[in-house]
Amino acid sequence: MKDVSFGQYYPVTSFIHRMDPRLKILFLIAFITAIFLATSFYGLAICAGVLIIAILLSRVPIGKVFRAIRGILFIVVFTSVLNVFFYRGETVYWSWKFLSVTREGLIFSAFLVCRLVLLVTCSSMLTYTTSPVELTDGIESLLTPLKWVRFPVHELALIMSIALRFIPILMDETERIKNAQKARGANFESGGPVKRIRAIVPVLIPLLLSALRRAEELGDAMDARCYSGGRKRTKFKKLRFSWRDVIGFLAGAGVVTGVVLLRVYGVGTL
Amino acid sequence: MRIVAEHLSYTYNAATLFATTALKDVSLTVEEGEFFGIIGHTGSGKSTFVQHLNGLIRVPSSMKRYKKKKSKKNPPLPQTVLQVGEFDLTDKKTNFRELRRHVGLVFQYPEYQLFAESVKEDVAFGFKNFAEKKPTDGEVAEAVRAALEVVGLDYNEVAGKSPFELSGGQKRRVAIAGVIVTRPEVLVLDEPAAGLDPVGKREIMELLHKLHREWCKTVVIVSHDMDEISENCTRAAVFAEGSVKYVLPPRELFRKRDELRALGLDIPLTARLLEKLEQAGVSVDCDFTAEDFIAKISALRGDRA
Repeated sequence: MKDVSFGQYYPVTSFIHRMDPRLKILFLIAFITAIFLATSFYGLAICAGVLIIAILLSRVPIGKVFRAIRGILFIVVFTSVLNVFFYRGETVYWSWKFLSVTREGLIFSAFLVCRLVLLVTCSSMLTYTTSPVELTDGIESLLTPLKWVRFPVHELALIMSIALRFIPILMDETERIKNAQKARGANFESGGPVKRIRAIVPVLIPLLLSALRRAEELGDAMDARCYSGGRKRTKFKKLRFSWRDVIGFLAGAGVVTGVVLLRVYGVGTL
Repeated sequence: MRIVAEHLSYTYNAATLFATTALKDVSLTVEEGEFFGIIGHTGSGKSTFVQHLNGLIRVPSSMKRYKKKKSKKNPPLPQTVLQVGEFDLTDKKTNFRELRRHVGLVFQYPEYQLFAESVKEDVAFGFKNFAEKKPTDGEVAEAVRAALEVVGLDYNEVAGKSPFELSGGQKRRVAIAGVIVTRPEVLVLDEPAAGLDPVGKREIMELLHKLHREWCKTVVIVSHDMDEISENCTRAAVFAEGSVKYVLPPRELFRKRDELRALGLDIPLTARLLEKLEQAGVSVDCDFTAEDFIAKISALRGDRA
């Protein structure tokens, strides 16, 4: 595991990093809504503008941001190609049997590409600037209203944070067991599919056993300290809204209002 | 097989924000036939070093690229050497599988890598993996029997059992058997006695001496138990913050009480007792093994009485 940097979180301090995770989650939801509500390039331009400012403020290197986009490159290319050929429009540039390239089709698929890129960039900005712990804290706090209908919010958050905490540990463990079996001549790299699957068994079984053992130990340790979850627990890190969050809120509200206004007045609607 | 390392460095997650240097310019030679100890704190690089010895961690090829870049700002780094017997571990073309057959590596808590349905199958795993052609059942059984017997387990009693039925100490013996079954010339063990009670610890160390005499010419152990080192090793290397501070026989090493303490390391019980005696004005020359210490002290008392 030491050779794999886990997750997306990019650990620096910045304006965006220090915002309240709850606000960032809400902002993301508002932002995604705005992207879907936008009916024109002007609307997307508003979103893109705010997003670019956010990226600049976050001190996450541009290369990292592009890497997030690279992950969905295939889907972007695939959908845009489909749209270019199948979108029916009036100004036809080229056509063959049921395929045709139209002016409208080109514009629409460009619109879709922008939309997808914006969606992915803004969601990965959340994970780049918010550590997994903050994220679960934020989700727990946002889900608090569900406690009224007896939904076990705290337990859910606890499960999430334990799972997140254990991912690097288990990755570490996998690496260790893999190395131990390699030292005994195990071969994970060559052979047919059946052979390769069989080669995983000597790693999988010890890993499973160790996961169970760790789970049991953690359960015992929590019992030994009388952990009972819920109500009376206080938090080590209390989430607090600050002036940064006011700015974030205004930006989010601004984006949504702007997009809605453009939509209502039909400015540049495709 | 002689182990030679020169100017060996290693960085985890190189060129990222999470980069951590584990080894800095390590130079170290282990002669054939030694019972060598490696001492150091957690994070001192000792585990990283031993994983180099059978190619689980490779010498990064970037080391070679550095050499080509000759400028006044970056003087060329001294050449990295890592050799185990005839195997050149800085060379990508080295047959690392063959190397692993000759250098057995027992990880910390090796009982956690047991996986097979029976002890026999588990011990046979390495043997089958390294065999040049598929061994017959008879050959496998014979190799497993020999390996189990040398680690002090009764083949007839345990071979058919599930490894998970055994006691902790037995499991560890099975795991060690699973490594030595290919008769490696060099046996490297990371904290072989960790987590055992004092009796279990002594038994494991006795087992290692037996292996050293009968099976593996060279034994390298990683430990932070100074008594283990002073009792057993011919020489020991002290790792701190990724570099080697001392390579000395225990007899000389543990005279450096203050230096070791400055590195945050312990000293053996015998060394601590000798310190007290010195403070009381009695000077005893001893090689820091319990046996020698007791002999010297009783001789001293005999003289006085």
